[in-house]
Parts: sequence; structure tokens; C-alpha cells
Amino acid sequence: MPATLPQIDTRAGEPAVEDWRAIAATLSRYVRARTSRVDVVEDVVQETLSRLVHQGRVQKLVSIYALGFRIAANLLVDHHRRDRRYVAERAEEPVSQAPLPDRVLVGREAVAILRDALDAMPPLRRDVLVRRRLQGQSCAAIARDLGLSPKAVEKHITRGLADLHKAMPGEAIACGRGR
Amino acid sequence: MSRESQIAEDAAAWIDRLNQPAFDAAAGPDFDAWMAASPRHRAVFAEMQALWQSEALVEALGTAACVPAAAIPPAPRVDRARRGRGSAPRLAAAACAILVAILLLVPMLATTRYRTGPGESRTVVLADGSRVDLSGDTELHVRILPWHRGAELVRGEAYFDIRHERSRMFRVASGTTSVRVLGTAFNVDRQSPTRTAVVVYRGAVEVGVAGEADLVLHKGDGARVVDGQVTAQPRIAASAPEWKSGWFEASDVPLAVLIGKVQRYSARPILLEDRGLQVLPISGRFHISDTDRALQAVEAAYQVDVAYGKDAIAIRPAGGPGNP
Repeated sequence: MPATLPQIDTRAGEPAVEDWRAIAATLSRYVRARTSRVDVVEDVVQETLSRLVHQGRVQKLVSIYALGFRIAANLLVDHHRRDRRYVAERAEEPVSQAPLPDRVLVGREAVAILRDALDAMPPLRRDVLVRRRLQGQSCAAIARDLGLSPKAVEKHITRGLADLHKAMPGEAIACGRGR
Repeated sequence: MSRESQIAEDAAAWIDRLNQPAFDAAAGPDFDAWMAASPRHRAVFAEMQALWQSEALVEALGTAACVPAAAIPPAPRVDRARRGRGSAPRLAAAACAILVAILLLVPMLATTRYRTGPGESRTVVLADGSRVDLSGDTELHVRILPWHRGAELVRGEAYFDIRHERSRMFRVASGTTSVRVLGTAFNVDRQSPTRTAVVVYRGAVEVGVAGEADLVLHKGDGARVVDGQVTAQPRIAASAPEWKSGWFEASDVPLAVLIGKVQRYSARPILLEDRGLQVLPISGRFHISDTDRALQAVEAAYQVDVAYGKDAIAIRPAGGPGNP
């Protein structure tokens, strides 16, 4: 999505227009990776930007990027819920609501790739990831349960996530790993 | 470490920090500075955050969770200095062999098959204390492992009352449809290989198709999965599934599905060979445990003839050829 920011006029103490462009492009990349619906991408990014601008004028932001990602994630959840309701209302028209085939394919492919990447990891690392992401355990609890130091747990999550990202195809690979 | 993998690890570290319950305010400016420093930083972070939050990762981890954490010693520290050279690899190989044996054997030993014949129903208590009521002509394979609980509904219908366990999810598969729960009561009806209905009577479950989580159902919610397509169904007020009292509330379901349910109670095969009749939409409340009564109701309301033979019951279009 092109970063169109007509409604944002920069005031003193706010990020410059180029910074807003960077923020918009980053959020857009994130939202595109989470939904295949083009209209949703544009909606979520624009709404996130306008809330960031508003929030920034009300209070000093701890981190504009951290807040941006959180707002975008929440908006995605809202969109998702609205879609669910829509499907429920139109239960008798299953054909029009069928997920796009390419999206299903991408979803299954992604699961298979991630599964392979997880299989290739040391079992302990995989276990740490399962506990953190699937079971929502805190790092402290994982460290206690597995007899690791908090630092080691952190390392396993960081390395594991980097491995998973590396395994995924797409722009990450296109941009090269310098090999 | 290459520059690219350094970026990946830095991004991952930021994701981990951002996802902590309390994000350290002091780290905020550092994070913004890191993001502002390079477009590559921003791109990798955005992709990784999307990956970390994706359903695909949850699904992949869900299957990875089947690998027994219990079989891994909590802190595998091998004191190599004290052991002779070569013994560590041998030990590791032996440990691997044992682990493989456990992985292969335990699931086989732990799978229990439950079957009921037509007209039969049965209540079973699983190893974890969960209770399952099987309807007639039903087959269920159950696997309770130290790290995983799962069941496959091969055919028929079952009501699950799953004992709550915080760390061990229970998953019911019916064709490509899967239902995931921690502890709750729900009914799964495998109406055909590509058609499954789910109703929740307590708690909440997650219904998905082919590994993708699709819909969260709460108490009173129902969903139908037909050919991989999930649709929510009208809320119900009942506290137990209707089949337990021998009834079935059909709301625009193909005749073949209704006959399949009647078949669960009938020892005589019911033949429904006419393609047009198989997909005929049926609505109404049927006493499926009473074969004759259910078929009479169908005969009275729809254009069909029911012929009671010695070995089978045949349902044909009314007035069609081959009728007596």
C-alpha cells in the first residue's frame, strides 16, 4: 500500500513526514502478512496512523512503533470478529463465503514449513517456544520448570523465532541473507 | 554471525520484550531508535511480529507439542570431561534409540478404539477422567498421552465431557474438522466424511478446518462444517444433545444426513440410492431412535416411498419406477 498521509500535518515534537512514511510502510508490511484482504490492510493502517497521531497529541508516547503495532493488532482482531458475524448472518450462502483458495494454500504451506523448522530445532528450544507461545507461560515460569536461567530461556526464544523467520519464504529471502 | 542473522536476532529479542506483560518504558526510545535506524530492521521486525502472532505458528506448535517434553531431562548437562571419549556419543545414541522407541510405541499402545453397533449407545470414561457418550454406529479412537489428549471420530456421533487440564489440550478430529478444548462439554456429529456438526454445552471450544483455527464457540453455540466451510448455527438452549433422548432437530439438512442418523439406531440397512433424494433438504424434529416412526414422518412430509424389505429398508421417490 502506498503511504498516503494527507490528514497528518506535522507539529513540533512529532515525527517528520519521512518518519511517518516509514511507520506507515512498516505497519502496512505487518498487516499484509497477517491478512490477505487488501481493503482490510488499508483500513487498519490508516486507522492506526490516525490513532497514533491523536495519542501523540494527548500524551508523550513511550514508543511510537510499539504502540503502532499494538493498535494494528487490536484492529485486526476487530476486523476478524466482524467477518465472523458476517459469515454467521449469511450462513445459507456458503459459496460466496468460501475462503479464497490461494489463502488456504498459503496457510497450510506456512504450517508445514513452520512444522519442519520446529522439527529441525533442538527439542529443548522447541519446548520453550511451545510453552511461551502456545501455553502463554511467562519466561520466569519456563525457566523454573525447565531448570534454565531466564537468560537461556530468552536466548532460546530469540534463536527459535529467528530460525522460524528464516525458514519462511517471501520477501525475507528475496532481500537476501548475503549468501 | 552475519549482519542479516544479527538483525533477525535483534528483532526477535525486541519481539520477546514487547510481548512481555509489562513493556519496560525505558526501553521505548531504544526500540524506536532501532526501528528508525534501518528499513531492514523495520521489515524483519514487521514480518517476525506477524509470524509470532500467526495462527499458522500456533498450529505448527500444536503438533510440535506432541514431542514429549517429559522425555527430555530438565537440564541435560553431560559432564564430558569425566566420561571417557566416545562414551558420550554412544550414550546419546542409546538415548535417541530409547526416545524413538517411546515415540513410536507409546502412541500405538495408548490408542484405544471404541465402537458401537446400530441402536447401541455407550458411555466410556477415558484415562484422564473425561467422559464420552457414544451414539449408535459410532467409532472413536482415543489417545491419551502424558503431553497430549486427542480423539478421532471415525464415524457417528459423540458427546464429550472433557476434564479441564490447563496444560494438556484435548483435540477431537472428524475428517479435516478439528475441535480444540481445555475442558468443556460438547457434541460432535460426523454426518458424512465431509460434513460435521459441533454444539457446545459448557465452556468454549475452537473449531478449525485443516489445521486453521476458524471459529470459537461458546456455551449454546453450534457450527456446521460442510466441505471445509465453517458456518455458525442458531443458538440452542438445551443442556444435552438431542440424540441422547433419541431425537434429531433437522434444520435444512440433506435427507442423506437424516437417514444416516436413523441408521445409527437401525440394525437393518436403510438404502437411499436416489441422488435427488439424498440432497433433498429436510427440516423438522425426528424421533431417530425409533426407525419406523422416523421414516413414517419423512414419508408423510416429503415425496418419498419407504419399502420395508426383509434385509433392508429402501427409500425411493414417490410413484417412481420400481415401486410396488
